[in-house]
Amino acid sequence: MSNGLPGLPTDATVDRRAFLERMTALTATAALTPVALVSSRPGPAAAGDTPALRSELPKAGMIQATEPADLTVVEAAQLIRERDLSAEELVQSCLDRIDRWDGDYRAFNLVLDEEALASARRTAAAPGGARTPLAGVPLAIKDNFYTAGVPTTANSYLFEDFVPAFDATAWARLRDAGAILLGKTQMGPLATTAATTPDGERTTVNAWSPFDDDVSPGGSSSGTATSVAARMAACGTGTQTGGSITNPSNAQGLTGIKPTMGRVSLQGILPLTYTRDHVGPLARDARDAALMLQIMAGPDAADPRSLGLPPVPDYVAATEPPRGSRELRWPTRIGVWPGYLDDPTPPPARDREQQQGDRVGSTPPRAERGQEAFARRQVEVEARREMLTTLEAMGAELIEIDEPSHWSTLTGWPFNNVRLPERSEIFLEHLRRDVRGFGVSLSPWINGLLLPGAEYVRGQRARLVLLKSILDDVFSRCDVVVQTAPFPFDMVGLPLIAFPIGFEAASTAGPRPIGALFGGLPYAEDRLLALAAGYQRATDWHRRQPAEPDSFERPPSGRRRSRIDAMDVMELAE
Amino acid sequence: MTHSVQEAETPTDEELDAHILARLDLLGVDLSVLPEDDADAPADRRRILRSARQFLRSTPGAIADFEFDPAGPPPSMYPSEQFAWTRE
Repeated sequence: MSNGLPGLPTDATVDRRAFLERMTALTATAALTPVALVSSRPGPAAAGDTPALRSELPKAGMIQATEPADLTVVEAAQLIRERDLSAEELVQSCLDRIDRWDGDYRAFNLVLDEEALASARRTAAAPGGARTPLAGVPLAIKDNFYTAGVPTTANSYLFEDFVPAFDATAWARLRDAGAILLGKTQMGPLATTAATTPDGERTTVNAWSPFDDDVSPGGSSSGTATSVAARMAACGTGTQTGGSITNPSNAQGLTGIKPTMGRVSLQGILPLTYTRDHVGPLARDARDAALMLQIMAGPDAADPRSLGLPPVPDYVAATEPPRGSRELRWPTRIGVWPGYLDDPTPPPARDREQQQGDRVGSTPPRAERGQEAFARRQVEVEARREMLTTLEAMGAELIEIDEPSHWSTLTGWPFNNVRLPERSEIFLEHLRRDVRGFGVSLSPWINGLLLPGAEYVRGQRARLVLLKSILDDVFSRCDVVVQTAPFPFDMVGLPLIAFPIGFEAASTAGPRPIGALFGGLPYAEDRLLALAAGYQRATDWHRRQPAEPDSFERPPSGRRRSRIDAMDVMELAE
Repeated sequence: MTHSVQEAETPTDEELDAHILARLDLLGVDLSVLPEDDADAPADRRRILRSARQFLRSTPGAIADFEFDPAGPPPSMYPSEQFAWTRE
């Protein structure tokens, strides 16, 4: 548990130059290591790695919730340990909400109601009571995590009949900590795009706007996000190759953390890439995210990317304030990106005039969408200003950061596409067998076959240039940096955290959460969690709950769900 | 001397389609099982080829255009070892 230097965040103990060299090594290791698909066997989970809870947890009298499903993971675990709540009551509360609302949300593609209740009863009957950190806590698991004996389809035709024989390491650790598998969640096919059926019909909606398909639920982990935001599960897991944890977290008012490459084992995760896949939690607040990550993180002999890393620090302790203070746990310099706080540019005048004219007609005009986007951006910038002001008042220092050299080139779409040959190689046998198995998401797999080896190697060299520029030009001046998109830090395997910082004003579609995204140094998950937890001590955005579907005007019955198009997939691909 | 992709003579759609299909044929990947043009199908040949042409016109050349600092990192596909890297 200890990083050897009590009281310091992990980024104060890591040699940045050596991380760069290690990233170089990882590229080779990944290329040489066969990645688990259906025929692979598990490596041993790191039994005994589950850390003890050291941090002070809330007392039962301080917990406010109208029903068990409203409880955070930390609250629920504490109440179950103290026998003020039974695991069965908690699971039943989640199942009741699923039964009532998931027909609207479509967050799950499989609900294990009987199995979850049976697990909850076993928790109650455990000798000595529920002593493990997550005893009796029901989780939503993304459907690309292997779950022994339970279908794992990744919402793809390719795996529609696949039932793994073992658990993904990350899920096995949560299970060993007492968590209950509530169900598997909807996702983009093979973890690309928003959640859809294999043939492209959108499934999951944003819990804050359940009847407006134009409001994105986020990326491929949106089934998990909706289940957690809608209080159908206490917490959940996701994967991120291009924003799939942090985007749905920001879209649905959650706290999600994408850890550094290797921090959480990828064994038993249906892979998209060797170099960019990450596993992490989507939670209701930073403390839940910390507890989940605490249990999921650590070395796993079955995934060499997780070996030889700094010891896992105490993430839960990182979310606590300094003794006797409400300030941030550690003095933190926040890098602020160019343009992050710039006011948006109003839409062109002719669009505004056109909008006036268009209001006579019945078709929603493009100009109106432009005006809405402008208004949203205004609110978002104001929320960012208030967020940074709040953090500054808690002791953070704001530092203006310039873009590193070659930033726009190396984080642009062509270099982002360097990930595609990896997925094509992983699924080459499936591609050769029948391309129809990829359904609506076929394009990126075909395109990955078309990038020559020279450009792939060049792209891998460029990743190292990008990483070096981030470490040298950005993190020489700050400890964390605001981000507006996940791709740059996804590309180089650095950690990201997403958390809510406000809402757009309510409309008929419902209020839309506004989120912040921060990146950190290698293995600085503790610093990022401390930042988010500090902000959440001063604000209550993370406690807001979406209205239930019955609060909205329902569309006419028989409404057809929208679809994504095969041509959209390259832009949506993650 | 660099040779920008923008300076190159742009291949036609037909030339790119021939390149794409030949490459896929060499790999044993068969697009002919897809419908030719069916907006209701999850994927069809027309859209897959269109996406592939856009990819070829935008990605390989842009990557090739990037000029590395001569002191930049060596190719990192196959480094030989991992090593302890913290200060501890």
